[in-house]
Amino acid sequence: MRSAQRVAIKGWAWRTPLGSSIENVTRKLLAGERAVRTNTRFDAASYLCTVASSIKEDPAVVRQRRFLRRMGLFALEVAREALCHSGLLVGDRVGLFFGYGGLRAHWGDMMPAFEHQQSDGNGAWERGMNLLHPYWMLQHLSNNAHALAAEELRVRGEGATFAGANAGAQALAAAIRALEAGAIDTALVVGYDSFIEPETLVDLAARGMLTTQTENSVTAPYDRTAQGFVPGEAAASVVLQRVGSSDGRDLAYLQAADGADGEAAAPRLSTITNLLANLTQGDTIIDGAGWAQPAQDNAERIALAKFAGDDTMLCCTMSALGQLGAAAPLVQAIALTEQLCLQMLAPIAGLQHAAAGLLRPLTSATPINTRSALAISMGTPGLAGAIRIDVA
Amino acid sequence: MTTAVISGFGAVSAFGVGSAQLFDGLASARSAVGQIRSFDASHFPTRVAGEVDVAAIERHWIMPHLGIINTDTRVLDEFESIGAWRDRKIVFGLLAAMEAWRNARCGIAEQAAGLVMALGLEQAFLEDFAPFFNDKGIDWQAEQAVRSTGFRYRSDVDLAAQLISRLLDLTGPTIVNASACAAGGLAIAQAASLIERGTASIILCGGADSMVNPLGIGGMTRLGAPSPRCELDACRPFDSRRDGLVIGEGAAMFVVESEQRALQRGVKPLARVLGYGSSQDAYRVTAPRPDGAAARTAMQCALKRAQLDGSAVDYINAHGTGTPLNDVAEARAIRELFGAHADRLPVSSIKGAIGHLMAASGAIELAACVMSLQQNLLPGTAHHQQKDPHCAINVIGEQPREEKVDVILSNSFGFGGQNVSVILGRYQ
Repeated sequence: MRSAQRVAIKGWAWRTPLGSSIENVTRKLLAGERAVRTNTRFDAASYLCTVASSIKEDPAVVRQRRFLRRMGLFALEVAREALCHSGLLVGDRVGLFFGYGGLRAHWGDMMPAFEHQQSDGNGAWERGMNLLHPYWMLQHLSNNAHALAAEELRVRGEGATFAGANAGAQALAAAIRALEAGAIDTALVVGYDSFIEPETLVDLAARGMLTTQTENSVTAPYDRTAQGFVPGEAAASVVLQRVGSSDGRDLAYLQAADGADGEAAAPRLSTITNLLANLTQGDTIIDGAGWAQPAQDNAERIALAKFAGDDTMLCCTMSALGQLGAAAPLVQAIALTEQLCLQMLAPIAGLQHAAAGLLRPLTSATPINTRSALAISMGTPGLAGAIRIDVA
Repeated sequence: MTTAVISGFGAVSAFGVGSAQLFDGLASARSAVGQIRSFDASHFPTRVAGEVDVAAIERHWIMPHLGIINTDTRVLDEFESIGAWRDRKIVFGLLAAMEAWRNARCGIAEQAAGLVMALGLEQAFLEDFAPFFNDKGIDWQAEQAVRSTGFRYRSDVDLAAQLISRLLDLTGPTIVNASACAAGGLAIAQAASLIERGTASIILCGGADSMVNPLGIGGMTRLGAPSPRCELDACRPFDSRRDGLVIGEGAAMFVVESEQRALQRGVKPLARVLGYGSSQDAYRVTAPRPDGAAARTAMQCALKRAQLDGSAVDYINAHGTGTPLNDVAEARAIRELFGAHADRLPVSSIKGAIGHLMAASGAIELAACVMSLQQNLLPGTAHHQQKDPHCAINVIGEQPREEKVDVILSNSFGFGGQNVSVILGRYQ
């Protein structure tokens, strides 16, 4: 393996549980604000996990809503905004790379087709499949947001849609490879995901990954009393180009790597350290994955310290926003760039009693003088993503 | 730049489990499309598919096809315990991967391989939902009270990749491509890209998919994509009477590695990956770009990467879905890009014989291309009998053609206008 290529970030946009404005969300992160609330996206009172960090606003009403569900619409919005923010032109030399965690299927849409089905599957057509909306397949097509973004934004270059909990990192890495190969001159990369769906919450809770605490008692990642993560959701987009343009619009420089080791739960420590080894080493801080499970948090800290040093500062964007799945690395890229530029690092939101261990978990906003940061994101099964951000 | 080569492959299709079955089927000009048997489709408007001949997949069906593996079968036990075989594409992907792994003579030294896999929709399981419906939808409270340890309602989108990676103990990067019908071609393209750039030296790649289930067939039928005729010749690529696609299922997997690596371990490559290119239609999610301009761009990019002129291409394995819009757009793209060469450039589609494998279609078609290079046989286009004047290309009819070719281009043009072209070359 060789080091990941470094590219320039030229534009960005996001929808997060703390808002859509880069400046406002950054201010809230630095203030240690958390988005976690009692889940009101649907009646989750009987669930093991009753809290969530959800995006407050609804997506704008656009013509593509025939084909896209809520998170796909957010993905389209951030793609549009990021491209606009970059000021770059579209066309044949712009590539489009999407990462999403999985369908997190919207079974509510399918109830007319499902509610009279029987376990043996007999008579499935008359029992409701004939009621599926003609666009149901398109609404659940794995690359529908990608296709609609290409159509609206007139992006015609190389591209692909990636899936899985580290799909955002896969999309970033693929975009960087395409830029490096010269196949495109600009890459529009989007990551979007939501854990806040009934069957996803049921599944994650059964695996013991989610917090069972209430809105007022949720403990933070890296806390010695941590009891599982808060499900979150986000959509984020960055516009990338090769380093070297002289337009003065480089917001930051990015490297990305993705990996997997087939472990049923978290990736092995060696997977994380191998990922980090692909990135440039040097003076840095770390944005941790923060699963909020003491054993896993400690293992993560050991792996990160091996790479960055025992006393490296540790922050955790996910502590404020909840776990964001495929959107995580893109959100981390934006959040870290802003903090590096402000020379101030956000605390781990809600952290009160940091568990003993390596690295230095931050309990308050802390001035920094470094110009680079690493971020790790993880998902099951054994999936990981890593990015490095440098600012000029 | 490092040259990427294919050193082994495996396939599962409606012709059976194994690449030999695929070749025999295509060589004999048969069609494997038949009545759906894996579930009761008798009242569905769409009742035919390119279905792998197994009703309910169980361990005793899997093991003989799996072959001898030097691995701990506890991984299989674990996946069986969570009900993984219910999602047919997981098994198809596994069997194709194991054949590819064996044929490329991979072993412990190859476990650093990466995995690039094209996968389709998560499968929904009606039998899981049915007991918990009430008049408001799913009674999640009741569901939680009886929850078992297996996955329920749907399979994870990357479950097949998880299984293959764990069974073979692969340690390289894992990429799951979900780019609909272009995913299979993109998976091989991405693998080649990673090899060429030195990010990896060996990758297991390909695609697996099955939509032959009530929701898959039902959703596609409601969309209007399959042929409305439930006849065995329902898919007639480039035929003037074509009226829609036939859904298929299966998988194809490849071992792609650097030429140097293959030769060092004494394996003669089967084919070179000469080039690849992708593009977006940026047109409509429901229809391909009528002028074929973006499809042409994908082919142009592949030729450019391969440093080839269009005249060097000896055969095109077309996306050729048998839908009225796709085939004419693809034919236009081929005609405009290849000009007069298109008059004699043979083109065929194997979708009439095995159906449209969706996320795996590009992979299974590249498997057919490798066979063409090895066996000097170009597959025919099943059920293509009446030429369409709007498809002004040299379509091979139903019978395969014996012909030695050196350079093959394979197209995959996905829903939503995601296009990829891959060029393979004979290894000499």
